[in-house]
Formats: sequence, structure tokens, C-alpha cells
Amino acid sequence: MKLLEAWRNSRLPYKEVVFRSIAEERGRMWWGGFGKGQLGEDSQNDYELTKKALRIAKWDKSLVSIFCVIAAIVPFTAQFFGSPMIGLTSAISLSLAVTFGFIALYAIQTLSSFVSAESCVLLSTLPINQKDFSLVTLFSFVRSVDYIVIGSILSQLIMVIYYTWSPVAVLIMFVACIVNTVLAVAVSLWFSRIFTKNLSSGGRSKKATVLRLFFILMWGSLLMGVSLLISLPYYIVPSLELTLLGSESITYLLFGLFHPFSAGITVANISSPVVADSIVLIGAASLIVYVIVALFAGKWMIKTVKQISTGTDIKIARVTAKNFSIKPRSPLLGYVIKDLKVSSRNPATAFFFALPVLETVIVSFVTVNFEMMRASTLLVSSFMGGIFVLLMPLALLSAEGTGLEFTKTLPLNINKLVISKTLISTLTYVPIPIVLLIMALMKPLTSPTALLIPFFIILSIASASIFEIQLFLSSVTKGKLAALIHDLKKLIIGIAILLLPLVAYSVLYLVSFSHIFAVFIMGCISVLEIVIAFALLKHNKH
Amino acid sequence: MHTGNKHTLTKQGLFSLSIPLIEVFELTKQFGTLHALKGVNFKVMPGEIYGLLGPNGAGKTTTIRAIIGLIEPSSGCAMIEGVDSAKNPVYVKSKIGYVAEKPTLYESLSARDFLEYVSSIRKLDQTSVNRIITKLGQVFEMANFFDAPIATLSTGMKQKVALIASLVHQPSVLLLDEPLSGLDAKTSRIVKDLLSLHAKKGGAILFCTHIMEVAENICTRIGIIYGGKIVAEGTLDQLKNGSKSETLEEVFLKLTNEENEIADKSRLLGEAFFKDETA
Repeated sequence: MKLLEAWRNSRLPYKEVVFRSIAEERGRMWWGGFGKGQLGEDSQNDYELTKKALRIAKWDKSLVSIFCVIAAIVPFTAQFFGSPMIGLTSAISLSLAVTFGFIALYAIQTLSSFVSAESCVLLSTLPINQKDFSLVTLFSFVRSVDYIVIGSILSQLIMVIYYTWSPVAVLIMFVACIVNTVLAVAVSLWFSRIFTKNLSSGGRSKKATVLRLFFILMWGSLLMGVSLLISLPYYIVPSLELTLLGSESITYLLFGLFHPFSAGITVANISSPVVADSIVLIGAASLIVYVIVALFAGKWMIKTVKQISTGTDIKIARVTAKNFSIKPRSPLLGYVIKDLKVSSRNPATAFFFALPVLETVIVSFVTVNFEMMRASTLLVSSFMGGIFVLLMPLALLSAEGTGLEFTKTLPLNINKLVISKTLISTLTYVPIPIVLLIMALMKPLTSPTALLIPFFIILSIASASIFEIQLFLSSVTKGKLAALIHDLKKLIIGIAILLLPLVAYSVLYLVSFSHIFAVFIMGCISVLEIVIAFALLKHNKH
Repeated sequence: MHTGNKHTLTKQGLFSLSIPLIEVFELTKQFGTLHALKGVNFKVMPGEIYGLLGPNGAGKTTTIRAIIGLIEPSSGCAMIEGVDSAKNPVYVKSKIGYVAEKPTLYESLSARDFLEYVSSIRKLDQTSVNRIITKLGQVFEMANFFDAPIATLSTGMKQKVALIASLVHQPSVLLLDEPLSGLDAKTSRIVKDLLSLHAKKGGAILFCTHIMEVAENICTRIGIIYGGKIVAEGTLDQLKNGSKSETLEEVFLKLTNEENEIADKSRLLGEAFFKDETA
């Protein structure tokens, strides 16, 4: 089979991978249409829904690519935004780090389906020889990240051309970009494979659970790292460059040993040397080592993809159960435990459980530098933490997947479902007020009353979660299934509910200059929100 | 509105009710322009295994979903123990055990986790549920699969998990949509025995299938659904005598007007595969 033909044929298994990742991980699609597939009119919708899911995936990939290109360019533009220096070494390193994170995070979304799904089953039944079959599978794998990789590499090369005008620098940058991409995809494939293997092996091992938690945190950290790099390039680029220039040569040398700094040092110093040749040599030598590592990683990926295509990659080990005993709980607790288990075992939703840790780090990061704990700091921190939590109800709904069809046949009042997801979402916010309280105890406060702000926000988070879930449920029953996919309106309502008491506090304080009065009214609004939310639940018939 | 009848397990372990456990009355369901059900009527009394037979798309699954309360009928009603499914679905769901044609379970959970979830929602007592699960686990030879994620199980094993989940609360009514699909011969036999036992205890079973042999072997009464209507109903003998047929398959094909269609399609097949010879 010719390469072009293999590339063309790879579209089918790729579409299957994309569709499965959307269908399995974004369970809100299953709330109505898919689950009622046997009912006639809905089975007609399935086709439309499939087409829509694939269209959305394409948009998704294009948008992420555009965002990735922007994130790759931004570190090079620090100078245009008031930074005293360009800091080419830092810009290149940071740009590579950001694209590494982007590619890894995006690839994880689709690769978990690639690893676990029988996306190539249809092809395997056709008369294609094993070599061609593996090639098609490999290409379908490459398709997962094609736009992002091409976009980011091109933008990085253009930036290096613009700043260096050195063919050698551009060539080395190209090699570094390829190494960066291969390593990012290899990390995602490894992660997805381990996660799937961990889940497939079954058993009740504590080790497997701990390992899963570790992965969740690792993934969360990767996400946080990328977010920090994207949001703070103008702060990071100059300070990183100053650190590098001001450091002892031994420190610089150490930086040179690590990817992507090895690439940054080598490429930047080829055109205009600012450090000793020995350091550049160390950077270049490290880069060569990374090229070799990438070669091995590439070979491992090809081997793994081939194994996936032949279904020999993940061996399932059966553990014989010692007994058949189970421990029933109350319906609500049973539902909460089920929700926790289901969503923590899905690579695409599991990282939401790293949110409390991430929020804690972000809030600490924001507040630690302030000498005094002001009400404005508490407002901003509460909002920043809360905004992440609002994604949680949707993630929990998504994680339901097709299993929801079964739940519908159980004698479960819909309110238990809403409350379960609200409880989990709200609990992930709880670390924020605690961290803020600890921080406040260590610093002088403008007003002790203001410390109640993040605690009142707990109520708003709960209300916002209830509203979000209710909106999703009601949309389905009205048959507006298509509108559910990627519908941001529900999130906006959640944000509005979260913002309302915070805005009320700010306005009232500016009018009255009384923290006590502003906090009191804010608290009343939060309580009112939760009362309305629970009143809404009473309208659920079943 | 009914709030539920006094019922279920007596001291002898028998279900004691004289009213129909399942009653479907003038049930219609319309999806846009499609009339999926056009006034379906039938009753299933305690101790009966009622086979609902019909070709694909005849309305079997829609009927079952209306009985459970998963869809609201356009008109008419479906009742379990005299309680309208559309009006009180939570109560109805607490009384039934349901196995779907393609069980959609939580694939990332193990069978143990899944049954724990089901038992929690059904508010079951730990001792009694463990007794049932242990027995059913042994019967269905689940030991090697009990802690494995459902996603890694074969279709047959998933079907077994769904069957256990439908029985943990000892329901008076079982609604089974092609429950034998994917099961091996031994397990199919066990399931048939299990259904007979359930009926002997006084429970009612609605058994949807399009496999005639299965219906012939285990159903005490059969309803044939075609185009959203029950076109014939009765015991096996009544149906055979009524349509002057030797087998249930003949009855079925006659009633569903599929005999002529089959002849036409056989001719087309002959043309497709033996074109040269026929020419």
C-alpha cells in the first residue's frame, strides 16, 4: 500500500477513535439520543449526532491548534510588551515547554480511546496485509495531533528564522521541535497505556488505586504547568533569562542538561553567543542525547501502536474473587461512590480530581506574596478557585457515559443524582476557604469579617452546580440534545451564580465602606441562591 | 393514583397477588410521524411467562420501556401491580428486574462495584443481598470475573452481570429483552430454569424474543406483536390451532405476513449467488 493511500485509509480508524473518545468521555451526549437509540426517531438522530460529534472534534482540534500556535509564539514576543530583553534562550525553551504540554494534554484525550478501543477492528476484517494494516493504524494515531504539531513547529521555526537568520539555528530548532513532539506524544501514549492497563487488570488492589491517584495528580500538574506558562510568559521569560545569565556557570550548565533548555541554549547561542562555548557544547551534547532518546521513544511508539492494532498490547490478568460479598450503602452514598469510581477511572475526567490540589496551589501562589490579606484578595481567590469547580458537574455528567441508561431503570429519584454530583463538586472547592483561612492567620487582615467570603461561596458553588445539572437534564427532556454538546450557556449561568454574591459584596462595600454590612448581604444572597436551587429540585417529579 | 399494593414475598417465599402483575392497556406511542405502538393490550398474571414475539422494529422494546416508565406513552397506560408506570416510575422500578437487549452497564466498574451500586440504590439489606449474590455468582461461575472491569468482559459475561443485577432485589416482575443473547448453551439452560422457578414462586415474566424455539420452550402464553399491535395472543396450542399451523414459526410468519416476503427474498438470494446457473 502506498503511503498516500495508507494516509487516506487511516481516516476511518481515526474517526472511530475520535468518535469513541467523545461518546465515551462526554456522556452528556448519552443523556437522551444514544440511550434511546432503539426508539425510532432517536436512531435517526444518532447519525446526525455522530456527524456533529466529528465536526466538533475537528473544530476542537483546530481551535486547540490555533491556541497552541499562539502559545508557542507568545514567549518570543515579550519584547513587544515592555520586557527589557528578548531572552531568546528562555523564549525557545518556554515555547517548547508549552507545546510539549499542549500536545501531551490533547493527545491524552484521544489516545486513551486509541489504546482501549477496538478502533481498528473493522479494518482488521478486510483483506489487508499486516504491514499495511500497521501503517494505517500508525497514521490514524498520527492524525490525532497533526494540526497541532504542524502548527506549533511552523510557528516556532518562523520565530527562530525571524530572530536569528541562521540556517544552522533553524535546522537545530527543527530537530528540537521533532524531539519535543515525539517525547510529548510518547509520554501521552505511555500515560494512556498505563492508565488503561491499570483499569483493565481489575482486582481490588490498593496499589492500583494509589498509582491511579498518582497519575491523576501528575496530569493535573502538567495542566497547571501549561496554564502558568501560558498566563505568565512576560513575567517568566525575562526572569528566567536573568536567572540564566546571572547564574554561576555550573547552574547554567545544569540547565543545559535538561530538555527544553538544552535546545534553547544551543539554538540561541549559535546566532549570537552570550555564554561560554563550553556551555553551548554541553547544551548541544544534551540535545543529541535527547535526539537518541526520541529515536528510542519513536521506535517504542511504533511498536506499541502495532501491538494495539493487533490487539496484543494490553494483557488482561484475571484475579479470582475470594468471595461475592458486597456492602450496600444508602442510595445517596452509593451514588456518590459510584460517581467517584466511574469518573476517576476515566482518563479524560480523572484529572478533575486533581482540582483541589491545583486550586490550593494557585490560591497559595496568589496570596503568599501579599503582605496583608485584603478583602479583594479573598474575593479574587474565591472566584479563581470556584471557576474551576464549575467544570466539575459537567465532567461528572460526562463520566456517566452509557451506564446512565441502566441507572434510568433503577428506582432512583433524580434529585439524588443532582445532589450526588453537587456534593462532589462542592467538596472539591472546600480546600480553598481552608487555605485562605490558614493564610489569613499568618498575615494581618483588613477585616476579619471578610474571611467569611470564601465560606459563603461554598453555598454559591453548590447552587451553581445544582443549576448547571438541572439545566443539562431539562435540556435533554426537551429534546434539545444537539445543543448540549459543548454548550457553554450552562457554564455561564454557573459563573453568574458564583459572581453574584462577589459582585454584591464589592458594590455594597464601595457604597457603605462597611465590611460587615457587605459580607452580611453577600451571605444573604448566597443563602438565597441555595434556597432557590433546592426549591428548583422540588419541582422534579421523579 | 395507586401507591402500591400489599404484596410480594410471603412466608413461604411465594408472591401473593391475584391482580395482573403486568397490565398494558391501549398503549400507544408516537415518535414524530412514526407510530411505534398502536394500542397494545395484554396482561401477565402471577406465575405466567408471557412471550412477546415480533420481528425487529415491531415495538417490543418500546413496550418494555413504557412499562418501566422510561418513556411516556402517547396514550393508554402500562401498569405494574396496578401502579401506572408513567405516574409513579420510581415505585414501578423498585418492583421490576429488567435486562435490556444490549445491557448498558458502567463499563469501568467491576461486577462487584456495579452490584454494590445497584444494591445501594435499591436500599437492600446486606445479609440478604449477599446471600443472593453468592448463590447467583456460583451459578453463573463469576469468580474469575467478579473483580474485573465490566469493559473487559465478554458479551455473555456482561449479560450475566445484568441478570444478577435484575435479580438482587427478588422482584415480582421480570422484564427481559432477549436475555439469552450472548449466553452459552449451559447458561441459557440455567436462565430458563431460573425463569421457571420465578414463575413457580408466583412472579410474572415478560419475555421479549424473536427466537421461536425459546418462546416455545418456556413461555406459558405468547403475544405476537407486529407493526405496533398485538396481532394474536394465547397459549402455544391456541395459536397453532387458530392459524392451522404446525409450528410457532409458521404461526409467526403467517401472522406477520412474512411468508411471501421470505419467498421473494430467497429468490433474490438465488439470483445473487447462482446467477450463472439460473441463467
